[in-house]
Amino acid sequence: MLIPLLRRLGQTVFVLFGISALVFAVFFATPGADPTARIAGRNAAPQTLEKVRKEYGFDRPLPVQYAIMMKKLFITRDLASYADRGERVVPEIIHAAPVTLSLVCGAAIVWTVVSITMGVIAAALKGTWVDRGLMALGLVGISIPVFWLGQVTNLITQNRYHDTWLFSWVPGPGYIPFSEDPTGWFKALVIPWCVLAVMFIGIYSRVLRADLVALSGEDFMRTARAKGLSPTRILLRHGLRTAMITFVSLFGMDFAQLVGGGALLTEVVFGLPGVGRLTYQALSSMDLPLIMATVMYSAVFVVIASAVVDMLYLLLDPRVRDGSQK
Amino acid sequence: MIRAFLLFTLIGLPLLPPCAAYGAPPAPNAPANPAVGGTLRVVTEASAGTLDPQIAYVAVTKVFETPVYDTLLTYPKFAGQDAQAVIANLAEAVPAPEDGGLTYRLTLRKGIRFSNGQPVTVADVAASFRRMFAVGSPTAGPYYSHIQGAQACLKDPAHCTLAGGIETDAQTRRITFHLSSPDPEFPERLAWIHSSILPASTPAHDMGNTPIPGTGPYLIAEYDPTTRLQLARNPYFEEWSHDAQPAGYTDHILVTFGLDREAQVSAVENGQADWMYENVPLDRLGEIGSRYAQQVHIYRLLLYYFAMLNVNEPPFNSLAARQALNYAVNRHAMVIYSGGPAVATPQCQLLPEGTPGYEPFCDYTLGASPDHPARNWQKPDMEQARALVRASGTAGAKVTIVVPAEGRSSNAAEELRGTLEALGYQASVHSISQVIHFTFVQNTDNKVQISIGGWNADYPSASSFLSTLFSCENFHPHSDNSPNMAGFCDPAIDRMMDDAARQALGDRSASNHLWAQVDRALMRQAPAVPLVQTRRVVLLSKRVRNVIVTLNDEILLSQLQVQ
Repeated sequence: MLIPLLRRLGQTVFVLFGISALVFAVFFATPGADPTARIAGRNAAPQTLEKVRKEYGFDRPLPVQYAIMMKKLFITRDLASYADRGERVVPEIIHAAPVTLSLVCGAAIVWTVVSITMGVIAAALKGTWVDRGLMALGLVGISIPVFWLGQVTNLITQNRYHDTWLFSWVPGPGYIPFSEDPTGWFKALVIPWCVLAVMFIGIYSRVLRADLVALSGEDFMRTARAKGLSPTRILLRHGLRTAMITFVSLFGMDFAQLVGGGALLTEVVFGLPGVGRLTYQALSSMDLPLIMATVMYSAVFVVIASAVVDMLYLLLDPRVRDGSQK
Repeated sequence: MIRAFLLFTLIGLPLLPPCAAYGAPPAPNAPANPAVGGTLRVVTEASAGTLDPQIAYVAVTKVFETPVYDTLLTYPKFAGQDAQAVIANLAEAVPAPEDGGLTYRLTLRKGIRFSNGQPVTVADVAASFRRMFAVGSPTAGPYYSHIQGAQACLKDPAHCTLAGGIETDAQTRRITFHLSSPDPEFPERLAWIHSSILPASTPAHDMGNTPIPGTGPYLIAEYDPTTRLQLARNPYFEEWSHDAQPAGYTDHILVTFGLDREAQVSAVENGQADWMYENVPLDRLGEIGSRYAQQVHIYRLLLYYFAMLNVNEPPFNSLAARQALNYAVNRHAMVIYSGGPAVATPQCQLLPEGTPGYEPFCDYTLGASPDHPARNWQKPDMEQARALVRASGTAGAKVTIVVPAEGRSSNAAEELRGTLEALGYQASVHSISQVIHFTFVQNTDNKVQISIGGWNADYPSASSFLSTLFSCENFHPHSDNSPNMAGFCDPAIDRMMDDAARQALGDRSASNHLWAQVDRALMRQAPAVPLVQTRRVVLLSKRVRNVIVTLNDEILLSQLQVQ
């Protein structure tokens, strides 16, 4: 148990180092990205530029600058933004993470419940108009870009029909912390949850239906039918459990990617100050410390998620368990 | 040049009448005046970054810090023709230059306190000026290097004493500045926010997100650069000059960061916010014009857009090629791309309308020339332009337009590309991130031939446009901090600029007239193609009253009332 854990830790460190080195190198290779003049201000005196260069360590060799940045990010945790002097990036991410978690967890519940329901119904009614209708609906969900859907939703709920009974409850764009006002928190997030979930509902329901249909011809399903079990029990108990392997695998990576900042477009459209919006802000302002911090944060989540998914395999599929014992 | 390039920022002209006089601060509870009290809710796209008033150099921060921090002199907080010259603020009076502009004497007002209750003394004043150098204020070099001892402070900020440059007398509250050479705009520099007077005990480093006590009617109560900023009343504030720093109306000002412009429009329309800080996006102009016209405020900015021509790179190292492009550009199309005639006007010269020294003329339009200028732009003169290109022998040259990746500039760049093609050049557009565009085009090593950008000034002065953008002093080859992007350097025009600046010490109107001559001389050399001067389109909620637009501070935050 210790060796796989250490191996996973080694992988994590390697991934983090690779990504950080790449981000750092790309930033300094970009023409015009030297932040000295931007930090010092327009037309600043050469002496002021020199002061900034020394203060921020831009006069030192790149490997030293990289090492200092990593130390400030992971050890002293006082890495400061290049674009907004005075802004410490680690506390910013710590403040932003609950917003992203609130958004992604809610959306995950929506897309899990709806996609399982849609996938199972479609598989159970394979070939009928219900099946075709649900799958077409899923395809529409996949095809709609989230930022477009978000903007249109905003236009309808915040603008055109805001004063009607239907949407007068919708608060203005932005985040309301759960600790301040739980009802407000729910109202502010329910539309973003649904918008973010739409694409995933499309993907997950189609994948689940395909898996369930494919599994119906497997030996263990035939055995279950031969034992005289009801079709519902066969579908839910035997089919769904096995089909969930792909589902969980996809879910783990998607969830991690979203928590790591992948819900960027939804956060930007709905004015939610989460990690995604921080990433967007960092990219818009070419702010290396913030880019570095958000990318590292995202990478950590993806690596952890892949480990969790591997563990869930063991629980869901006896064959994986048996294989690991051999 | 506070985020001047391509940002709609600080300066607007008065379109609205000044507010009714409003003196003492309100009682903390149950305001007798219904206009007093409440919370003003502002929404804006970006966080403001550092709060340190001696370092912050973005327009949005300045707007929120104007009612928090004070300088010895200030730009007037009222609208109208008299609002151009600086007025006394923490000092009792505007000083007259002595010794040919080498000495300025001021007296600190009595009885003013910081928001922590501490009285403001001359020691705080001296310490604030020293701190400006110690913390590396962006304008310490360009604005305050004339003070004696400033050069030593720039070289060794940690041990800055400004020895001989600033004398104080606690008994008489007298502050005397000694300059090493005359600076005709020194009073304006004393009004610039980086010379804010802070407690002498303020640490000599960027205070970042930690608010420093100020003297204005509000204090910064809460700040998170990614989510919100909250201003509350300064309990120690007593109005000393309504024109310089008027008392505030609302009890709180809450600024929310992070909403894009579309969401901002909706939030104000729905009454969820009172003021969207950014301009109304072009695609919503029709909607707000038809349904919310009463809530819209349009005012002129001293901001214009131009195509900067690099006079050291072909084909624009040829005067004829530069003049040809000036003749050929269709400024009417540029107006359309900027939102139409209600929000933009064609620009022919290097000083925008409203700047001291502005005298309208147009050298490059149909039927005009530098010897016989028209008053306004009429239409392009393609025949004249083609003749000039032929004369220059530059036809067929490759030209790359470097443009920041955002809608307005991209449209302008495409229009310009078409014009260049029509003149016989092989033109292409190169879009780069808006964030690095400005530093990229300044650097001579990047050999940028032509770039599109905008410019406004920290305060209204001709030199902020003409000297900053076109003097030899501001051309720094191989540096990405060279605001003279055209690389233009003409010693004769530089001498004209020096004369115009010097005249301001004695005769402002003569100085202004000389600046107009500089404007003409520069346009004759055509180091840029002026395109449009724009107006600011701001949307406020139905409950907002008392909108006062000043020359320097745009809409005065402290004067807005909510009902």
